[in-house]
Amino acid sequence: MITFDGVSKRYPDGTVAVDRLSLEAPTGEITVFVGPSGCGKTTSLRMINRMIDATEGSILLDGEPVQGIDPPTLRRGIGYVIQQAGLFPHRKIVDNIATVPYLLGWDRKRARARAMDLLERVGLDPALAERYPFQLSGGQQQRVGVARALAADPPVLLMDEPFSAVDPVVRTSLQDELLRLQAELNKTIVFVTHDIDEAIKLGDRVAVLRVGGRLAQLADPKTLLSEPADDFVREFLGRDRGIRRLQFVPTEGLRLRTDLTVEQGAERGTSEPWLLVVDAESRPVGWASRERPGELEPYGTFVYGRDSMRAALDAALLSPSGCSVAVDERGKVVGVAARDALDQALAEAADG
Amino acid sequence: MSWLTAFIAWLGEFFGDPESWSGPGGIPARLLEHLEFSALALALAVLVAVPLGLLIGHTGRGELVVVVSANLARALPTLGLLVMFVLLLGAGSIWPVIIPLVLLSVPPILVNTYEGIKGVDPELRDAAYGMGLRGAQVLMRVLAPVALPLILLGCRLSAIQVVATTTVAAYTGLGGLGRYVIDGFATKDYASVVGGSVLIVLFALVVQAAFAVAQRVTVSPGVRQRTKVG
Amino acid sequence: MGDGPPSIWEWIARNWDTGRVDSISNLLTDHLTMSLVPILLALLAALPLGLACVRWRWLYQPTAGLFNVVYALPSLPVFMLLISVTGLSQTTVIIPLAFYGTAVLIPAVVDGLNSVPDHVRQSAVAMGFTPLRRLLLVELPIAVPVVLAGLRVVAVSSISLVSVGALIGQGGLGGLFTRAYQNPFMPPVIVGIVLIVALALVADGFVVLAQRLLTPWVRARKGQGT
Repeated sequence: MITFDGVSKRYPDGTVAVDRLSLEAPTGEITVFVGPSGCGKTTSLRMINRMIDATEGSILLDGEPVQGIDPPTLRRGIGYVIQQAGLFPHRKIVDNIATVPYLLGWDRKRARARAMDLLERVGLDPALAERYPFQLSGGQQQRVGVARALAADPPVLLMDEPFSAVDPVVRTSLQDELLRLQAELNKTIVFVTHDIDEAIKLGDRVAVLRVGGRLAQLADPKTLLSEPADDFVREFLGRDRGIRRLQFVPTEGLRLRTDLTVEQGAERGTSEPWLLVVDAESRPVGWASRERPGELEPYGTFVYGRDSMRAALDAALLSPSGCSVAVDERGKVVGVAARDALDQALAEAADG
Repeated sequence: MSWLTAFIAWLGEFFGDPESWSGPGGIPARLLEHLEFSALALALAVLVAVPLGLLIGHTGRGELVVVVSANLARALPTLGLLVMFVLLLGAGSIWPVIIPLVLLSVPPILVNTYEGIKGVDPELRDAAYGMGLRGAQVLMRVLAPVALPLILLGCRLSAIQVVATTTVAAYTGLGGLGRYVIDGFATKDYASVVGGSVLIVLFALVVQAAFAVAQRVTVSPGVRQRTKVG
Repeated sequence: MGDGPPSIWEWIARNWDTGRVDSISNLLTDHLTMSLVPILLALLAALPLGLACVRWRWLYQPTAGLFNVVYALPSLPVFMLLISVTGLSQTTVIIPLAFYGTAVLIPAVVDGLNSVPDHVRQSAVAMGFTPLRRLLLVELPIAVPVVLAGLRVVAVSSISLVSVGALIGQGGLGGLFTRAYQNPFMPPVIVGIVLIVALALVADGFVVLAQRLLTPWVRARKGQGT
């Protein structure tokens, strides 16, 4: 656990980067620092591994004040990932990843074996090991940056806007990869970003900081979206807070109808305005309307139980039927959420 | 094109004469001298300038020294400096000449080493510290290898300078290939002047090529970058 | 002062303007000619060559490579080899210096033009500048600081390099060094070094001044402290 206890950073010219920050980043969780530029989020992060020293207060790493630890020793036990990855251009990828193991005096063979293992773990082709950083794409470099930070298996990982320099598609895949890795590794991660969507997607807890380095709110993403502490947080969260909150509402309780599906070629047995046509393996094919029985209209699906209400609603909006199709992990239809069921679920979400 | 025929005749006279190839004044001996003086001066300059440049670039302290020495080295006339040292220290040994040679070849190495270290991407420095490298490790394991192309550029520019100045230094009594040129000019022995000049030019080109090879061998393929003259 | 060796000031006063070719004032004029002409020639050669290298990128590597080799040639043997073509004249010193200067200025021109941000170039195109107007009104002004930084190097080193020409009897103030060596006497050496360094400083100052006048926006930006 990382504990900030009344931590401030004041520069000689009088500017205050961080102002009496007190919070905890629990073990095994992702804590995100988010805020506009000038809010001291990066400074706060860099005070943990003493890239910057706090002027007041103390930062504890599992109860031990970091100010008492020799900085290089401290840093070798903390993974550090930065925006442009900061890979060493003169060393091959495998040696970049093995940097900290080498520093810790591992023998070369073991360090390289570890590096190769990590290369695969972060989803990279082992053939990249012998390349130099300039031969990799930005997204690949960033994955190497994460692998390098994990090399000596540190319990704590500090990530300073690691994904902000890559394009949105790559960013999404890097975020998913991080969540997948974290599910396996359970590191204590402190993650800095200026992107509130990224904070909400990745954070177990999100600390919103305001300009001048003061903590505006610390909460889990769902609470943050439903109960912003003040106007600053509300404004920072942006416009569609309500819709975004739906991503934390599970679809498990959603009432499904199973009488609205019909197999391809079978007789239309009811007078319902819309029927979902499925194939022989009960995968969806399209919606058939009562008015134009010959044509199939588009449909939207969500994975029942895994996806959120946001996905369920999105699926409904994709189809003229106004209903969304619930499927299982293998894509087979388990039922249909009709408008009244969605209505009811939305009403419950709005209440709670 | 009468000068061309004369030119070729002089070359034939110089290189065709067996006298040119033997004894203390022969081409092999002079070549070796030129190489010795140049290498000695360059080695001393590297010993002074590289550590100093690394240190100033890394700590950011003493930057004024770099700027002033760079400008001074460019502005100081080599011939004047050589004559001044010889008049001050006497012409007994090679040192009155070697000292100005070293003085003039320190700045290019110093400036480029300093610029090389200073110019390393701050993100890289940050990542190195963030992973727990100590100050000296950051300098030697990250900054210096990344700055190596510029450090070698500095050495190459200094080598060019040293080879040229060693030639000029023949005027103040130093041995080496410059002797053919200086003595030949004084005695109107143009075969010697032209032959010596061609030898020096070839020598300079070989040195230049040697540095290009050294660059290939020592610089990581990950940091090879365009280098420039100046 | 009696019969002792003359002081440096006396020596200067006695030799400043004797009417002979080797008076200090004559040497100074020669020195200026032999250093300023190559600087101008280098600038005149490097601008079109640099522009060509930017326009046709494949030209840059061979051009830079060639001038790299030229730059590595020691001045004294080059002067000597040129004597058989141009004789013991100022031209023999001016030609190699112009080549050295060009070698330094070509990369400066190329880097300067490459320093024009792509969005600036694009928006100039989008606003309908013809290629020539774009070059003169947009790209060259932005390249000026880098080109002039190269010009400072060229100006200072040309002024000091001229003195090597003294070894073929055409060295401007460098003549003071040969005179001092043949007739061991320190004042000419000191005077020569001081005058050459002073000339270099003045030339450097002129280039800096030109830079200020040509690029007022650089100073405005610095003034804001950003």
